[in-house]
Order: sequence, then C-alpha cells, then structure tokens
Amino acid sequence: MLDSAPGLFVALEGSGVGQAIRQSTWIYMAANVGHILALAVFAGAVAVLDLRMAGAFAATSPGHVLSCARRVVVAAFLGLVLTGAILFTAEASHVIMNRVFQFKLALIALGLLNVALFEIFTAPKVRELPPLAPLPAAAKRAGIASIAIWLMVAASGRSIAYF
Amino acid sequence: MTRYLLLAAVFALAGPAAAHHGWGSYDAAKPVTVTGPILTSKYENPHATLTVKGSDKEWTITLAPTSRMGNRGAQAAVVAVGRTVSAYGYPSTVEKDEMRAERITIDGKTYEMR
Repeated sequence: MLDSAPGLFVALEGSGVGQAIRQSTWIYMAANVGHILALAVFAGAVAVLDLRMAGAFAATSPGHVLSCARRVVVAAFLGLVLTGAILFTAEASHVIMNRVFQFKLALIALGLLNVALFEIFTAPKVRELPPLAPLPAAAKRAGIASIAIWLMVAASGRSIAYF
Repeated sequence: MTRYLLLAAVFALAGPAAAHHGWGSYDAAKPVTVTGPILTSKYENPHATLTVKGSDKEWTITLAPTSRMGNRGAQAAVVAVGRTVSAYGYPSTVEKDEMRAERITIDGKTYEMR
C-alpha cells in the first residue's frame, strides 16, 4: 500500500481542469446530479436486461430485450464514466487512496469482465431464442451476477464519502 | 433466484448502513469555537475550506459547498484572507486540527453552513 497518491493523480488534481472543476459554482454540482441520473438510467436498463436473462418476462423475445436494453446501458455507462471522471478529478489525490474507491474500481472491472464473457459466449446463444424458450444456465448466472455486482458498485460509490 | 436477489439486496443495504455518516467522523459531543484571522481561504467545491489562526493552534475549517455558501450570503469575499472569523463546529476524529463548521460569524453576521 502506498502512503501517498502517485504523482499522476496529484498532477491531475492540481491541473487547470481540476482547478476549474473546484472553482466553478456549478460544474461539480452538475456532475454530482448527472452521476445520480446516469446511475438511475443505468440501473433501470441493467435490471431489465439482467432480469430477462435470469428468466423474468419470459413472454418477451430475449434477443429483442437484450439489444434494446444494451443500447441504454452503454449510453448510461458512458454518462457515469464522464460525470464520475469530473468528480474524481476534483479530488483525485485523495480519492485514489480511498479504500472503498479502490474496491469500487475492482468491482467495476469484475462487472465489465462479466459483460465481456456474457457477450462473447452467451449472448450469441440467447439472441435467436423465441419467447418462452428456456435460457441457458450461463445467461441466468450472468444476469444474477450482474445485478449483484452493479448494486455493490453503487453502494460502494456512495460510501466513498464516509471512509 | 430469490435467494441471490436477497443476497444482492443485503449487500446493497449493508454498504451504506455500515458506513459512517459524513458527520460521523466529527465529534459532535465536543463542539469547539475557533476565533481568529483567516490565513488561507479556498472557495472551492466540494467544500470551501479555511485555515484560521485560533488562540490555541492553527485550524483547518471545512465549510459548505460554494453554491450553498453563496446562497446564504457567504461569498468568497466574505471569507477572504485577513478577515476575522468565529467558527462553531465539531473537531474531526480523523484529521488532526480540522473541524467542520456548523456556522460561522464574520463582522457580526452569522452564516449557517448546514
């Protein structure tokens, strides 16, 4: 464990961009509000996608639900990354050393790994299945893991301020 | 599946519940009043901060987000270097010589930070 932040993050926080974020009356606040809104949209779309993969809404076409929800998930995730980067930059040297933030980054990596494995191995098998067809066990597992991981990401994100 | 969802819900709720509240790392049982000249003033987000030469030592005083301070009349010029401030608040249990202000008084005018 390092005692102080790597120079990169000290430099990021001290940069003109970092200063501008802190000194603006509205940028930090807007990023904070935007992060929550993006999270709400992300969680909603993730829930639809993952619950379908877990076997809910069986009368819908899994491939159709997957492709529709995925578009929203990706857009909301980009919104989360953008607003999160703004919040991070303002206090980079402190936040990078925060244990809960490090845990959150690891969880995000785990969530993205789950997405990659699902997209490569499972999604192609699900895409052409008709409504009411049983889904592969891998789809169920991926869906349930995804919900659990992203909820934990959200919980750890909110907890950064308290550790 | 119900079992997994319950597990996920427990994780989601356990995180925030186990965490300290933002005021949890300040000792509300030992309020202090720090009075003295402002040595440095950072009017920045997420919280404005001052360093103040108190009678006992130099304190770092955490204030509020700048938009809230502005709304309550405490613009950057109000908490400028050299002015005398009296800050009532709670000492940090984590950071040495840091306190979080509940309210500050400058030139006879009091500004609430919460």
